[in-house]
Amino acid sequence: MTDNNLIKKLWQRPSTIIVTLLFLFLLVVPKIVTGYYLHAVILIIMYATLGTAWNWIGGFAGQMSLGNAVYFGLGAYATACSQLWWGWNPWLGLLLGIVLSGIVAFLIGLPCFRLKGHYFAIATMAVGEIVNIIFTNWDAAGGASGLYLTIKESSLLNFQFASKVPYFYIVLVLLVLATAITIWLKNSRSGYYFRAIKEDPEAAKALGINLVNRKLMAIILSGTVSSVAGSFWINYMLFIDPPSAFLIMTSVQIALIAVMGGMGTVWGPIVGASIIIPLSEGSRMFLGGTGSGIDLVIYGLLIMLVAIYQPGGIVGAVNNYTKKRQSKKKATLKAVQEVSE
Amino acid sequence: MLKKSKKKLAVLSVISLALIGSLFLFAGCGSGETTETGDVTDQEIIKIGVIYALTGSSAPTGLDQKKAIELGGEIVNGDYPDLNLPMAAGEGITNLNGAKIEFVFANSEGSAEKGASEAERLINQEGVVALMGCYQSSVVASASQVAERAGIPFFVVESSSPTLTERGFKNIFRQGPHDAMFGDYTFNYLNSVKNQYDIKTVAMIYENTAFGKDSAASWTKNAEAGGYEIVASMPYPANTTSMNSEVQKLKAADPDVVLAASYVSDATLLMKTFKENNYMPTLIAQDAGFVEQDYFKILGADAEYTITREAYCSDYSAKNENAKKVGEMFNEKYGIANLNGNTARAVQAPLILADAINRAGSADPAAIRDALAATNISCDQLIMPWSGIKFDENGQNQAINVLICQVQGGKYVTVWPEEYATADVVWPYPAWSER
Amino acid sequence: MSEVILQVVGSGVLWGFIFVLSALGLTIIFGVMDICNFAHGDFLMMAMFLAFWLSVWPGLDPMLSLPIVAIAIALLGVATYWLLIRHVLKASGMAQIFVTFGLMIFLRGLAQALWGADYRSITDPLVQGSWNIMPNLSLSKPQVVAALCAIVATILVYLFMTKTRTGLALQAVSEDKDAASLMGIPVQKMYILAWIIGAGCVGIAGGLLSEFYYIYPEVGMVYGFLAFITVALGGFGSIKGVFYAGLIIGMVQALGGFFFGSAYQYLLVYGLYFVCVVVRPQGLMGRR
Repeated sequence: MTDNNLIKKLWQRPSTIIVTLLFLFLLVVPKIVTGYYLHAVILIIMYATLGTAWNWIGGFAGQMSLGNAVYFGLGAYATACSQLWWGWNPWLGLLLGIVLSGIVAFLIGLPCFRLKGHYFAIATMAVGEIVNIIFTNWDAAGGASGLYLTIKESSLLNFQFASKVPYFYIVLVLLVLATAITIWLKNSRSGYYFRAIKEDPEAAKALGINLVNRKLMAIILSGTVSSVAGSFWINYMLFIDPPSAFLIMTSVQIALIAVMGGMGTVWGPIVGASIIIPLSEGSRMFLGGTGSGIDLVIYGLLIMLVAIYQPGGIVGAVNNYTKKRQSKKKATLKAVQEVSE
Repeated sequence: MLKKSKKKLAVLSVISLALIGSLFLFAGCGSGETTETGDVTDQEIIKIGVIYALTGSSAPTGLDQKKAIELGGEIVNGDYPDLNLPMAAGEGITNLNGAKIEFVFANSEGSAEKGASEAERLINQEGVVALMGCYQSSVVASASQVAERAGIPFFVVESSSPTLTERGFKNIFRQGPHDAMFGDYTFNYLNSVKNQYDIKTVAMIYENTAFGKDSAASWTKNAEAGGYEIVASMPYPANTTSMNSEVQKLKAADPDVVLAASYVSDATLLMKTFKENNYMPTLIAQDAGFVEQDYFKILGADAEYTITREAYCSDYSAKNENAKKVGEMFNEKYGIANLNGNTARAVQAPLILADAINRAGSADPAAIRDALAATNISCDQLIMPWSGIKFDENGQNQAINVLICQVQGGKYVTVWPEEYATADVVWPYPAWSER
Repeated sequence: MSEVILQVVGSGVLWGFIFVLSALGLTIIFGVMDICNFAHGDFLMMAMFLAFWLSVWPGLDPMLSLPIVAIAIALLGVATYWLLIRHVLKASGMAQIFVTFGLMIFLRGLAQALWGADYRSITDPLVQGSWNIMPNLSLSKPQVVAALCAIVATILVYLFMTKTRTGLALQAVSEDKDAASLMGIPVQKMYILAWIIGAGCVGIAGGLLSEFYYIYPEVGMVYGFLAFITVALGGFGSIKGVFYAGLIIGMVQALGGFFFGSAYQYLLVYGLYFVCVVVRPQGLMGRR
């Protein structure tokens, strides 16, 4: 399949058009949406990016990682520490974060890929906790108090702005890049092999497909992009501490966004983030003020319901629906043809 | 295959960047947000945002602070002429035709990130003119950053990390002492009784968070200055399952004084572990968990003799009418017998803010900020045992005071300094077998 | 130094047994049906709260209300299976993981909504204080009782699984459920039985723990995660494995905390787990 054909095919699909319109719409959003809601939109886009990155290792490579917050946190800390220790520019810190996360991802993936399902998940959680403890006790990196970035003049070079709008655009670019990587991965040989091993593991094994290298690539990609999101985050919040960076709940939320939206799909994490983030922010807004915990009750119920009734996620459900309709159409067409013959 | 896909990626990135570049022209460099804060005209309601952990492990404290702040609000909004407190007489803010203050509570869930989110929401959607909170210093750190960027004054009710008022912010104000000050005063006390009780060695046990570490830093500095030998310095992970190895180490080191910084769960576990090991050193706490209601509920009689530094003690009501009356009001309204350092500061906070709003004569955040900076309230108009409220250029109140209290007869009484003491200290702690 | 070591080791052993008790239920459920119950820690929390409320009214000490708590949590386990797990048995691993994660958040929120965030503890428990065995070794009585119960429970469950017909049927189902079904073993009933035993065990653990540990909605988090590590280290499904793993973890935590500082005690536990699991992916005694 040549490149041109690929692009043509992409544009013929309705989903592509819809989403492109969505992106264009998002580009004018900052003119309409302001203040806290813009902050929420930035959160959604960032989590969509994190969920997309998770998708590569969780959805495509089928390894349930519950430790992606590690890469996110490393990106943030790399930026903060390099600035505070060596006076590095935040963009350099971002690159450092990428390198570090790539290495850590490799070190986790190599020994852990042979762990099955739950074992792998727990191993990633354990790594997350280990990193959490290390940073909590590392005084030079702020220890438990965390690190504050010095407030600098607003500029792209300083990666700091007085208004939220430039942050919005930067994180949007990140999401676009991440989505592009997803599309590329899906249509690449790796994506093909990942699907093969899901559909028919025996046949794939018989064909001698070596997945470890491809899985390593997936986890490194996942880690590096998550790290960029982390670097973005600290330049936005100007503050990071171990609980905001490395919590297991953050990792779970990232995975949940991808799963609820649609694991292994391109647009799933975006849909997932658009639902989960407003849900968690909204329930805290309306119910959290009472301190009753009801928001957690509702959140938990929703997760259980989605896991039981719609494990393919929302995009999965939509795809099923369109497939059913298409096959119904085909069946009706066929029936009509037969009758007219 | 790889080359072609890379090309596609490159094309997409270039297009995105080009779009952004062009849209920067449209968006301009100005801020896209308009903050809707209070108008400078008469307002019926003045909204103040309050952020606390209302769920999660710190929720008991957060919920108590919420109650105390609501009481403070009632004092402002109601007419209490016999209370010598700012804005108590007359309903509401006098200079604004009796405009009432209204609190908008938000849940930080104990997380700095969520605290910042809520600060955003309170400022931009609720239109609050000031923010208060948050108990956890990390939450104050990120929420106050949001406030600073938005030009909204942030009033720190009780959080004690020193760095909060050391970032050069113009919009942050802290009424109470910070951990370095607490450490200094603790050692003022120790130095004053050093010869009497022959104190040579100290040990430190503290949770591995900003609170614990800041406390330990101050203790270390003061211990070294005072010529004490530090025989153990033990950070431990908060909400730990067992304190046994820590207690063993302490027993082995046998210090004259143990300094402890913990929240409720670890504080009670520590005391229980001491009892199990039949060991009770003389411990001086950094309040927090050691002054919570749950500490007393869980330990019962075992809480007796605990010494802590505190910002406030309920026996101050014997010396100060305000403290007495407010303590009674708190008990009547919520059934909680005594105010502690946290709740006392939380009742006082709205009063200080209301005083500033009154002097500002408007609900404009910038005016309130300036009025706060000029605050000068004297001791007799406070609930806290301080000489007054006067913020320095960093927003830190320098007229503070610190008490040393001990649990006697099931509640805390002040043992130092002399002008506030109502009892003598029992030193050292009696052994478990003697109780 | 040597006197203190004895105490540290003694404490570590006791806690090790307590970890075993908490993790036993988890490994049984996983062994039989390949489900990792991420809400396990919150089952423990529920057991502790139940023990607390029974001590308030009708005033039963947790030691006495133990059977009631065990049965109640066993029922919770059955309800979890029937309402949730049953529907995701055929679904992907992700769905299974998430359904129990959702349950975890749900239970935690429910506990706070119903009982508030305050810390509770049993006032004047039946078993309290400590035995001073030697001048340098004092063992907390409730912890010793919990440890003894853990040993008894482990032995009983092990005997049940290996010596009784039902137990062997459970093992058959865990080996190959289709073959077992063909042999006439009612698979669904076996699943329910697994949840009864598994949840019942963690119910007992919670009841015993409440005798000496404080109770609050988030208490499941710490113990829950340690239970996963214990099970994963021992090998999912292996009772012997969980026994050894629990003891190892208790010792590593105690000794590691003593020598390196308690800030690092969990680092050592998780680090050890990670190394072990990398070297031996199926855990100490798990099936391949």
